[in-house]
Amino acid sequence: MALRLWASSTANVLKLSSAACRTHHLPSPFSLSRCFSTVLDGLKYANSHEWVKHEGSVATIGITDHAQDHLGEVVFVDLPEPGGSVKQGGSFGAVESVKATSDVNSPISGEIIEVNASLKETPGLINSSPYEGGWMIKVKPNSPAELDSLLGPKEYTKFCQEEDAAH
Amino acid sequence: MGMRVLRSLEVLKLGVVNYLDALKLQEKLVLDRKSHRIWDTLLSLQHPPTYTVGKRQTVHNLLIPQSELEQIGAELHYTQRGGDITFHGPHQAILYPIISLRDMGIGARSYVEKMELTMIEMAAQYGVKACPGQAGETGVWLGERKIGAIGVRISNGITSHGLAFNIDPDLTYFRHIIPCGIADKEVTSLRRETHSIFPPEEIIQEQLISCFARIFDYDNLIWKEDASVVIDGTE
Repeated sequence: MALRLWASSTANVLKLSSAACRTHHLPSPFSLSRCFSTVLDGLKYANSHEWVKHEGSVATIGITDHAQDHLGEVVFVDLPEPGGSVKQGGSFGAVESVKATSDVNSPISGEIIEVNASLKETPGLINSSPYEGGWMIKVKPNSPAELDSLLGPKEYTKFCQEEDAAH
Repeated sequence: MGMRVLRSLEVLKLGVVNYLDALKLQEKLVLDRKSHRIWDTLLSLQHPPTYTVGKRQTVHNLLIPQSELEQIGAELHYTQRGGDITFHGPHQAILYPIISLRDMGIGARSYVEKMELTMIEMAAQYGVKACPGQAGETGVWLGERKIGAIGVRISNGITSHGLAFNIDPDLTYFRHIIPCGIADKEVTSLRRETHSIFPPEEIIQEQLISCFARIFDYDNLIWKEDASVVIDGTE
C-alpha cells in the first residue's frame, strides 16, 4: 500500500517536472533499486507499452518512457502511410534498437491521419522525448469507447512495476 | 523466499534446415506461444549457405551481384529481424528462441545482452575470451573480430530469429558482404581462435543450448529431436 501511494506521488512530481526530467536525472530520493520511468497524467496506456492522447477528434499515439528505456537506442522507425487504418491491439509499425525490431501496436482503432516524419531522420526522438517529439502516429478514433478499456496512469505505473519484478 | 514458478524450455534440435522452412516454423511457433499453446521454445539448427538482410533491407551491403549467388551455392532472404546483412552456413551454430519476454519481465535491450552473454560463455568454455559489442555494434567480439551475431524480432513480446555463433563456418563467404554493415572489421570463428580439440559439433551445439538455459534461468529442459512432428503441425 505504502509503495503504491509513494509511486503515485512520485508520478505527480514527475508530471510537474516531466518536461525537463529524464529518469536518470532524478535526484537520489527517487532512485530505488530500479528507477521509475516517467508516466504522464492525462494519457491512457496499453499493456504493450504504448500511450494515447485523445484531444477532440484526434488521438496521438507513441511508446512510453518505460518502453524506450527497455528498448535501448532506437536507430530505425518503420511507420505506415497516412490514410491507412489501425485496429486496437494490431501492429502499425516497428522500431529497431540493439539489432532487435519490436512491433508497435495501436491502443485504439481508427484512420491514420498523420505520421511523424521527423522519426525518419531522428529516430532517437523516441528515446529523448517519448511523449512529445517522439510521437508516432495521429489517428481519428472510430470507437471512442475503446479508451475505457485502456489503463490510466496509476494502473500503468503498477503494471510496469509488476512486469519488471517478474524476473 | 517467495514461490517461484518452474520455468520450462522446450528444445528442438533440427539439424540443417533451409532458411525459409525455419522461418515458416518460427512464424507458427510465435503464434502458438502468443496464444499459450506452447511453452518457451528454443530451436537449435544450422543453415545451408544463406545471406539474409533485416527489416532495413540493407542489400547494398551485398558485394556480389545477386545473379552470382547461385554460382557460389548461396541464397538471399529478406527478413523482419533487426540488424544488417549477415551470412549463415554449415558449422555455424544457430539458436532461435521463441520466448515470451513479457512473462520474463525483460525488454529488448536486456534480452540482447543475455544473448551476447550466452555466446561469451560458450567461447569461454574453450578458453576464448570474447566481449559484447560497443554501442551500436551488438554482437560478440574478440577485439576487431566478430565471432557471434545477433538479429532479433519481437512481436507482441514474443521473440523470433536469434543468434549465430561461428564454430567453424567457411569464412570466405563473409568476403561477399560488409558483415552487419560494419566495414573494416573481420569475422572469426572458434576454430580460428583456439587450438583446443573440439568434441563432435553436436556436443558444441548442446553446450551452447546449456549456456542459453543457464543465463535465461530455465529450470526444466525438454529435449525434442523429431523436427517433422513440429513442422507438420501434428503435435
